Amino acid sequence: MDPIKLEVRNLRKTYPGTVALDDFSAVMHGGNVYALLGKNGSGKSTLVKCISGAVIPTSGELFLNDRKIELKSPLDAFDQGIAIVYQELSLVLDFTVAENILIGRYFKKGPGQAIIDWKRTNEKAAEILASLRIDIPVTAKASSLSVGQRQMIEIAKAMSFNPKVLILDEPTSALAQFEVESLFRVVQRSREQGIIVIFITHKLNEIRNVADFVTVIRDSRFVGTIPIAEAKPKTLVDMMFGETKILTRPANLGVSSEVVLQVKHLTRRQRFTDVSFSLRKGEILGIAGMLGSGRSELLRSIFGADPVDSGEIVVNGVTITQPQIPAMKRLGLAMTPENRKDEGLVQILSIKDNLSYASLSSIASLGFINNRRQEPVVARWIRELQIKVSSAEHPVSSLSGGNQQKIVVGNWLNTAPSIIFFDEPSRGIDVQAKQQIFQIMWDLSRKGLSVIFVSTELEELMEVCHRILIMDKGRIEQETTPELTSLDQLYAMCMEA
Amino acid sequence: MSAALKTTRNYVSTFALELILLAIIGFLCVFARGFASWDNFLNIMRNASTTGIIAFGMTFVIISGEIDLSVGSAIAFYGCLCAVVTEKLTARGLPMVPVILLAIALCFAIAIMTGVFTGWVRHRFSVPTFISTLAWMAALRGGGYLLTNSFPVTPFPEWFQFFGSGYVFGIPFQAVIFLAVFGLTWFLSRFTTFGRSVYAIGGNAEAARLSGINVLQKRMIIMALTSVLAVISAIVVASQIQAGNPTVGTSWEFTVISACVIGGVSLMGGKGRIWGTFVGVMFLEIILNGMTLMNVDEYWQYVARAILILGSVLIYQSQEMRQKD
Repeated sequence: MDPIKLEVRNLRKTYPGTVALDDFSAVMHGGNVYALLGKNGSGKSTLVKCISGAVIPTSGELFLNDRKIELKSPLDAFDQGIAIVYQELSLVLDFTVAENILIGRYFKKGPGQAIIDWKRTNEKAAEILASLRIDIPVTAKASSLSVGQRQMIEIAKAMSFNPKVLILDEPTSALAQFEVESLFRVVQRSREQGIIVIFITHKLNEIRNVADFVTVIRDSRFVGTIPIAEAKPKTLVDMMFGETKILTRPANLGVSSEVVLQVKHLTRRQRFTDVSFSLRKGEILGIAGMLGSGRSELLRSIFGADPVDSGEIVVNGVTITQPQIPAMKRLGLAMTPENRKDEGLVQILSIKDNLSYASLSSIASLGFINNRRQEPVVARWIRELQIKVSSAEHPVSSLSGGNQQKIVVGNWLNTAPSIIFFDEPSRGIDVQAKQQIFQIMWDLSRKGLSVIFVSTELEELMEVCHRILIMDKGRIEQETTPELTSLDQLYAMCMEA
Repeated sequence: MSAALKTTRNYVSTFALELILLAIIGFLCVFARGFASWDNFLNIMRNASTTGIIAFGMTFVIISGEIDLSVGSAIAFYGCLCAVVTEKLTARGLPMVPVILLAIALCFAIAIMTGVFTGWVRHRFSVPTFISTLAWMAALRGGGYLLTNSFPVTPFPEWFQFFGSGYVFGIPFQAVIFLAVFGLTWFLSRFTTFGRSVYAIGGNAEAARLSGINVLQKRMIIMALTSVLAVISAIVVASQIQAGNPTVGTSWEFTVISACVIGGVSLMGGKGRIWGTFVGVMFLEIILNGMTLMNVDEYWQYVARAILILGSVLIYQSQEMRQKD
C-alpha cells in the first residue's frame, strides 16, 4: 500500500461576521502523529470539522493520496477512511465492550442470519483490542470502565474500520495522568499501522510524549508544522501567540484597601485544597489555570452552589462555613455560571423573565410581581448593558451568545451585589461582545464592586485584572499582576505550576 | 404579503385552538338540539368542574417538568376517607357538622403530606414523579378499597349535597369553585414570584437553582397544591353521589392530563398557560356534551379525544417550527 498522504489546500470557512478558518494549507503523511495546537477559538475545531465532513468549507480543497475528495457529510468522510473520536463519548453504557466496538456489525448465525453470534463477535472484538494491545475484557460493560478506558474503546472502534486518518479531539482533557499515558500507548499503536493520527490538544506538556510533528494554528491561519525535536516550549508559545498586542485595563480603576471577601483554607475533596485569598473593594481578581484545575469548582463552592468540606469564607464581615445560595445572595454575592446555556439561562423563556430570576423578590411585594416595578428594571439593564433586543418578550434563545451573556449579568446586577463572579464569561462570544463584557467589569469596579474573573484565555486576564491567581490541581500556586509578568511568562506559570 | 394579512395570520395561528372551539360551538348551536340553552351551559360547567379543578394544579406540575398520575385514585381515596371518618365518629354520637369538617381537614392534611413527600423524593433522590405518583396511584386506590371494604359508604346528611349539587345565585356550586380555582391559579401563574419560579424550574432547574430559587420548596408546593385540589374535587364527587365510593375517578388522571396537553402545556416543562388548560377542559366537555345531544354513540368520545390530543399538539408543534424559521 502506498504511504498515506493527506493534503489540505487553501481551506477557508466563513460564518456570518467571522472567518473561522482562513487559507489553511498543510500536508500530513501516514505513520505520524500530528499534534494540532492552538488557543481556544484559533480555528482548530473548524479545521477538524472540515476534514471530518461535519462542516462544509466555504472554499478550498482536500486531497487524500493525491486524489481530490469532496466531503458533504460525516458519512462521506467516514467512507473515505477519515474517522474522528470526539470529546463527548458515543458509547452505549449498558452495552459490553464488544457490542460497542462492533455495534451494527455483529456476526450472525442461524436461519436467515437472524441470531447474533456472540462468540464470533466477542472474538473479533478481542482481536481488535489485542492489535492495539488494549487490556480490557470484551465482555465488560462500558459503564464499568473509567473515562480513559472508554476513550481507548472509542479509538478501537474507530480503528476497527481501518481508517486512513484518525482524528482525536482533545482526548486527554478529562483524564488522570496514568490514564493519559496508557492512552498515548494506544495512539502510538494506531500510528504503527501506517495511518495519520491528528491529535488536538491545548496542553503543551503532553505533546512531547505522543506527537511526531506539531502543527500550530493561530487566528484561523496555518502557522507551521515542526518536528517534535524542534518544538521547544518557547518556540510553541511564540507560534501560538505571535505578536499579540496585550491590551491593558483603563488607568482609572482604583482598588480600596477594604477587604470584602476572605477565603480561608477552603477545601472540597478532590476538587480544591486549602485555598486562601482575599478580595478588596473595587478589585478585579483573575484566576488562571488549565481546564480541570478547580477554578470553576472553587467559585461554585464559595457561592454555595456546591458543598464545602472545610475552611471558611468571610463576606463583608460575616463568617460562613456552609455556604447556601440564598444566604450568599443576601450577603451580596452573585455568580454568572460557566455554562451560560445550561446553567445561566432558561432558554425557552423570555428575555424579560431571564433578566428577573435572581431578583424576583425585589420586583415583587409579598410574592406578587409588580409589573410597574419589573418593566423599568428590565428596560434599565437592556439599556445600560447595551443588550440588542427588539422586544423583551422574545425568547432569550433568539439572542447571540454575547447578548445572552449580558442577560446573565443583568439578571445578577438586579440583586445589587457587592461581589460578582464571572466564570468564563467570554466563551463563545465575538470580539466586540467580549470587549463590552470587559467594559461592564471595569464599570462595576469603578462603582466599588469587586469582581472575580475566571478565564481560560490568559490574554483576557492580563487585559482586565488587577491581580491574577494561578491555580493548578486544586491549589493556588502563585500570584502575580499584569504589570509584573508577560503573557508567555503567565502561560509558562500555568503549564509548569 | 401585506403587514395586515400577516398580523391576521399570526392571530389565527396563536388562537387556533380557541377559534376551532368557537367554530364547534357555532356548529353545535345550529345542529345540536338543546345545546344553546342556559341550562345546558350550566350542565357543561358542572361536568367540567371535577376534572377541571385538578387540571389547573396539574398545569403547574407539568410546567415544572413533573407529572401527577395519582389524582384519579385521590378522588376515590379522599371521598372514602371523608365518608369513613364521618361514619365512624358519628356512630360514637359526635355531632355531624364538626365531624364532617374534621374529616375534610384530615383529607387536606394528608394530601399536603403526600404532595410534600413526592416533591421531596423528587428533589432529594431524583425519583421521577412518574414513578412516585404511579406508586401513589396504586396506594390511594388500594387505600380506598381497604377503608370501605370495597362497598360504598353512605353516612352523609342531606346538606352535604350542597358541595356537589347545590347552587349559588343560580350557578352550580362546583362551577363556582372551578372558576375560583381558575382565577386563582391564573393569577398565581401570571403575577407571583411562585408562578415565575415554576416556569424557570421547568425550563432549566439548574439555572433556577443558581439564581437562588428554592427549587425543593417550589416542588413540594406544586405537588401539594395539586393534591389539595384533588381533595376539593373528591369532596365534590362524594357529595354528588352522597357516598365514599372506591371505584370513582378511575383513569381521571388521563382526562386531566389530556386537558392540559390540549391547552398547550408542554410535557417537556417550562411552557403552558392556565388559560390554555381552561380552554382544554372546556373543549373536552363541549365535545362530549355535543355528542351526547346529537345521540352519537358515547364510545366515539374516546376517538374524539384522541383526535383532539394529537391534533392540538400538531398545531402547537407546527407553530413552534414556524417561529424557529
